[in-house]
Amino acid sequence: MQKRSILHMLDPMPNNSPFDINMAMDAGFEVLMPYSNVKLDSVYRLTQDTIFSRSPAGIKRTGIFIGGRDLGLAMDMLEASHQAMVPPFEVSVFADPSGAFTTAAALVACVEQALKIQHGKELKDCRVLVFGGTGPVGIATGIIASLAGADTALVDHLLLDSAMDVAKAFNRRFGCTLKGECARTEEDKATLIKEVDIIFCAAKAGIQVLSSEVLKAARNLKVVGDVNAVPPLGIEGIKRTDAGAPFANAVNAQGTVAVGALTVGDVKYQLQHKMLQLMLTTDKPVYLDFREAFNKARDILTEKK
Amino acid sequence: MEKPFILHMLTTAKNLSPFDVNMALDAGWVSALPYINVEASEVQGLVQDAIFSRSAKNLKRTGIFIGGRDTKQAMDMLKTAKRSMVPPFEVSVFADPSGAFTTAAGMVAAAEHELITKFNTTLEGKTILALGGTGPVGQAAAVIAAQAGAKVMIIGRQLEKAQHVADMCNNEFGDGKITILAGADADKAEFMKTADVVFATGAAGIELLSAELIASAPQLKVAADVNAVPPSGIAGVDAFHNGTPIQGSNSQAVGIGALAIGNIKYHTQNRLLKKMIDSDKPVYLHFEHAFEVARDYMKTSR
Repeated sequence: MQKRSILHMLDPMPNNSPFDINMAMDAGFEVLMPYSNVKLDSVYRLTQDTIFSRSPAGIKRTGIFIGGRDLGLAMDMLEASHQAMVPPFEVSVFADPSGAFTTAAALVACVEQALKIQHGKELKDCRVLVFGGTGPVGIATGIIASLAGADTALVDHLLLDSAMDVAKAFNRRFGCTLKGECARTEEDKATLIKEVDIIFCAAKAGIQVLSSEVLKAARNLKVVGDVNAVPPLGIEGIKRTDAGAPFANAVNAQGTVAVGALTVGDVKYQLQHKMLQLMLTTDKPVYLDFREAFNKARDILTEKK
Repeated sequence: MEKPFILHMLTTAKNLSPFDVNMALDAGWVSALPYINVEASEVQGLVQDAIFSRSAKNLKRTGIFIGGRDTKQAMDMLKTAKRSMVPPFEVSVFADPSGAFTTAAGMVAAAEHELITKFNTTLEGKTILALGGTGPVGQAAAVIAAQAGAKVMIIGRQLEKAQHVADMCNNEFGDGKITILAGADADKAEFMKTADVVFATGAAGIELLSAELIASAPQLKVAADVNAVPPSGIAGVDAFHNGTPIQGSNSQAVGIGALAIGNIKYHTQNRLLKKMIDSDKPVYLHFEHAFEVARDYMKTSR
């Protein structure tokens, strides 16, 4: 009898995300096991306990998922898990803390596509701001955009130091070139957005970050992308279903288009689904993070066309 | 391919109850996932994570269960969960902290059934004592009975605590439309003079009502006890009693024991868990729905 497929879901937080649980189940894993409050130094042992209890054939139907809210920690855990493998006792590992890697990958890929179609430009030609830039999705969005060549700044809503610290830490880690900015007031926001080409909004659900009043300041704005699906949306005037639709609230910019949360969510969903399925179908173990997520998100959008 | 049924099980405690896990899987949920030590402030995030990862169609195959030990916390979490939905992204939620809602519903429905079949009357206007009634089952039973028209008094060893619980039941669970009173355990001999129904919902192994008080109660009709561990909470009522005459009762009262109540509770919880699966529109289930289902079970199962 074929062994049941098992996904061991490691999370440094007190609980797993129900989002990842639904996704893992729907991708075909038959048994999901939550491990909560997992510390980095437990990952080695948990990984070896995972690999040594099934035959090399059986462990093809076994995977490790790494969640949490902390990108750096998730990447450390992915690395620790990778190092704990003893081939041929080896399983696939997928890190997607807060779903941030897949959400960010989908967001950047959708915006990149709109940018190309509407403005014939590439990310490397653009100045980019990420609002909610110090949260998990914001950071991952910034890293992906920066690695794709965009001049990218993470924006914190309270402290410049927070944004600078995060930017510095991830620049060192992934070789990107993030900057830090702070926007506490409407004036701050207006000043920041004046010259930028792309605005990503990755702030908390249900919070409007940019009002139509502030958006008047933007002169070069080409694409806005928002991941907030809970009204009020992060950018006033954006629609959740926008997929490169004209964006009317940037009244002083030319041909601005919008990518809404459901459009991003749809790609993110397909992306996470594919990556989880890949863990079950791959012949050789795979180690998946935001880089692989962005490549696959681009593939999904290319296939769609 | 049809997506598997997933029940996300939230509890404020450090573990789920294995009772609820068994019940959920037996009712048809394919996967039951625990979320422990959940705080009220985390409910919105968890709910929205659950609803945004499936299509509206497959959300019908997704549900949220709220356990824990505290009734008010569970009801607050249920309300928060409901508010966190973003239609059409919406799933059913069922709160049953400590199994108290379904246990209480089973007990009240069983008591009502005895009133109807043996005494040709209903809960309307009856005087009911909830002995040891400050805990989750006592609270829920008091509210359910009061909503059915009974005059309910929650009896506790400390009057002040009983009063506090009664106030909370009236305001939080009864929307201010019911008036549950409070009484001290020391005065229960007096209260027994007018009691029609007694619920014993105290801690296991404590006798809440003596044989003398049973004998001297002039109009006692039904005595129900949720305690399955000897000694029973009500003298003369054992776990197997199911409308059985209580020896020594001068008012021909009948007893309902823990196993009879447990049986109705079991079917009630099972049906509510199935209702989450079968319902076309999302449902938000708590003690009121538990009582509806328990009543229905009493009508159709005999």
